[in-house]
Order: sequence, then structure tokens, then C-alpha cells
Amino acid sequence: MTRGLWSRETVALMLLAAYLPLALFWLWFGGAEALARLGLSLLVVGVWHLVFLLARAQPPSLAALITALAIAMLAPEGLGGFRMILGISFGVVMGELVFGGWGRNVVNPATVTLSFLGFGFPAFAWPVFDDPVAWAAIPAALIAGVTGTVPVAVLASAALVGAVAAASGVLPEQVLFAAGIVLVLLVADPVTSAATTLGRWINGALYAGLVTLFATGWAGAAPVQIAVAAALLTSLAVPLLDEIALALWIARRRRRHGRT
Amino acid sequence: MAARTDVWTTLTDPLIRQNPVTLQILGICSALAVTTTLATALTMSISLTVVLTLAAGLVSVIRRHIPETIRLIVQIVIVASLVIVIDQILQAYFAEISRALSVYVGLITTNCLVLGRTEAYARHHAPLPAMVDAFGNGLGYSLVLILIGGLRELFGKGELFGHQVLPLADAGGWFTPLSLMLLAPSAFFLLGLLVWTVRSLYPGQTEAPEHTPPLRAEPAE
Repeated sequence: MTRGLWSRETVALMLLAAYLPLALFWLWFGGAEALARLGLSLLVVGVWHLVFLLARAQPPSLAALITALAIAMLAPEGLGGFRMILGISFGVVMGELVFGGWGRNVVNPATVTLSFLGFGFPAFAWPVFDDPVAWAAIPAALIAGVTGTVPVAVLASAALVGAVAAASGVLPEQVLFAAGIVLVLLVADPVTSAATTLGRWINGALYAGLVTLFATGWAGAAPVQIAVAAALLTSLAVPLLDEIALALWIARRRRRHGRT
Repeated sequence: MAARTDVWTTLTDPLIRQNPVTLQILGICSALAVTTTLATALTMSISLTVVLTLAAGLVSVIRRHIPETIRLIVQIVIVASLVIVIDQILQAYFAEISRALSVYVGLITTNCLVLGRTEAYARHHAPLPAMVDAFGNGLGYSLVLILIGGLRELFGKGELFGHQVLPLADAGGWFTPLSLMLLAPSAFFLLGLLVWTVRSLYPGQTEAPEHTPPLRAEPAE
């Protein structure tokens, strides 16, 4: 595409378009309740973006829609309005907006929100996805990958490791579904996933590896809980992965050319 | 008159404006560890304030006799002796709280706040101003600890000093405890929010940004 077309908002719009199949299938199967959750999270995320626009002149981003969709899809069920508002406020403000808005955050705000809700209110049940919703993650990943808004290396390496784990029979079907949706929605996010090619391959593999580890060793955890915990740990490790990839690159340059 | 305002500012400055925890980020290890309940936070605050004030006084009294080369050893010996006394008193009279605080009373010895004040202030000032400064810093530390401890206990269990303040949902009330508040990360979040608040009130305390963003966002290819 021509230079100048790709701004932050183009990426956000493209991601939104990619997530449409997932969102539509989820809404179709979730019905009015899903719509209400989406509306609530949209409202809260939107209000915080507005607050930061007015208080710190931070341009709001369409990525708010993506965050709201991810939270509405993956948050524990039956939390009630107050807890949802608390969790979303915490995640969106501390995970994204204090860093300067979408594009400067270290962790995905939706990941922060979901971890907060999961650790803060462990009594509530995590959602379970119908098969068609989980399958809709594949077209979403394809659209995002082909348009280049989501790093393909992350998706590919996670899919590879996940396929090996699933073939050897350690990943139950529900965990596989949840991990796929979380991979598309949270882990492969262009801002918080790795920025170097090597880092991206390790990023995806690390995520799939953590999911496998939790699925085998974490007794009593819900599939979505496993995937969200793996996503949080992976996104915290991502800057380190990038740093390693850059250090390797610099060392190789130095060995071959005597300078960087 | 001038001397009196001096003493007054030495005492009150470290409370909020020069607070050792929020401005210098000193002593946060214990601030994070002992703030799960208000009782432990209060005990820790009192212990630290007492140790800090006495240590500053002692170091200041012998400040002209401490050899420059071994001054840290001398200071640590003084602080450690005081800490042992406090620890014994706690074990004797407040056995339960002493168990809850576990190793952290002993770790006052290595608290950066104590060494920081004795090294930076008490070593160069007369005993009275040194003790006033140490007392003020102890109060500033206590303020942060009690604030965070109170918030964590209130929202984590709905209690203050072990008394039920917010009616729990299990017992027919409306409040569901936020169990995240009892975990270590919440202390980080609360401390971060507190530092943010203080630095919004005193913009001079904000650090210089490490990176300057480009004036105009450069579109990718």
C-alpha cells in the first residue's frame, strides 16, 4: 500500500475488520447478554479515553473498540456492573492510558483487565466458547495476518507449538479453543507483541508453551484463565525477547564487520 | 525565630513534599511487605520511626569521632543494635504482631531510609536538628505505610484494625472483598498511584522524560 496511508488509526481499523468474524459469531451465539457486556465495556473504555483526551490531550484511538471487545468476550461471567467497571478502569488506565495511549503501552489493557478480574474475584466462572466462535478465530487471524496488521511469525510459531502439543494429546479441546481466541485477541496485538522477527517467533512459541504447561500442571483452572495467564506472562517477557534479539543482531554485526 | 521555622520545616518537609517514600522511593521493600493489615503497618511505622530517630541522634552525637573510612560500619552497628532492642521488645510484648512482621523488623537495619538519613543528614548536623529530621522522615514513611495498609485492609477484607467496617456479602452485607488487595502487586499499584498523585500536586518532582516522542507521527511504509 502507498506510504502515508498507514497511521495508527488505519492499523486499528484493519484490526477491527479482522476481528469482525469473531465478534459477529460471538454476538450471534451470546445474544442479548453478550451485547450488554460489550456495551458496558465500550462505555467504560470510551469514557476513560475521553477523560485522557480532555485531561492530557491524548488523542483517543479506535483501538478502544478492540479492547472493549476483548474484555467483553473473555471476562468472567456474572461479575455485575460495579466489578466490571472497576476492573476495566484499572486495566485501561494503568495498562494503556498512563503510558500515553495505544501504541506506547507495554501490556495489552485487556490482558491487564482480565488478570485483575481473575485474581481479584476468583469465585466467578470464566466464559466457555461454542465451537463456531472458536473456529471464527481462524478467519480473524488470516485477515489480520494477510493485511499485515498482526505479526504472522507470532501466529505461526504459536500455531506450530500448539499443533505439536495438541497432537501429543496434552491440550484438551476447550483449552485449545480458548488459547486460539486469546492468541488472536491479546497475544498477537501489534503493539504489545515482539517487534523483531526472532523475538516474534519466540513470543508465539513461549505463549503456546506456557499454555501447554498450565494445561498440564495447573489443576482446576478454567481454559480462558489458563490462556489469559499465559498471555500476561508472555507480554511481560516480550521486551526481554526483543532485547535478546537485538543483542544477538549487534553481536553478529560486530563479529562480521567489526562495528555495529 | 528563624531557627524555629527551620526546625519546623525540617520536621514537616518530609511529610508530603519531601516524603522519603514517594520522592526518593526509599524503603519501599518493607512498605510493600508489611502493609497487608493496618496493625502491622502501624507497628512497623513506629519501630522504624523510633529506630531512625535514636540512630540519627547517636550518630550525630559522635559525628566528629567517626573515622571517615569506617563510617558505614559504625552507622550499621548503631542501627542494628537499636533494631535488636526493638525486635526483642516486640517479641516480648506484641508476640502476635511480631510473628506477622516476621523478618521485616530485623530488616530495618538495611532499610535504605535509615542509612540514607544518618549518612546524608545526621553525620553533618547537631543532634537536635538531626533527630527532628529523622523523626519527620519517620513520620513521612509512617504516613505512606498507614495509608496503604489502611486501603489494603479496608478493600481486601473490609476491616480496619481487625474490626469489620464494611459489611461482607457473605454475612448479609453488600461488600465483596477484593482479594487482589491482599497480594503483593496491589501495594505496587497503590504506591504508584500515590506517587502519581503527589507528583501531580508538585509538578517539580516529575522526572525528565527518557525519550522525546517525535513531533509528528511518521506513517509506516
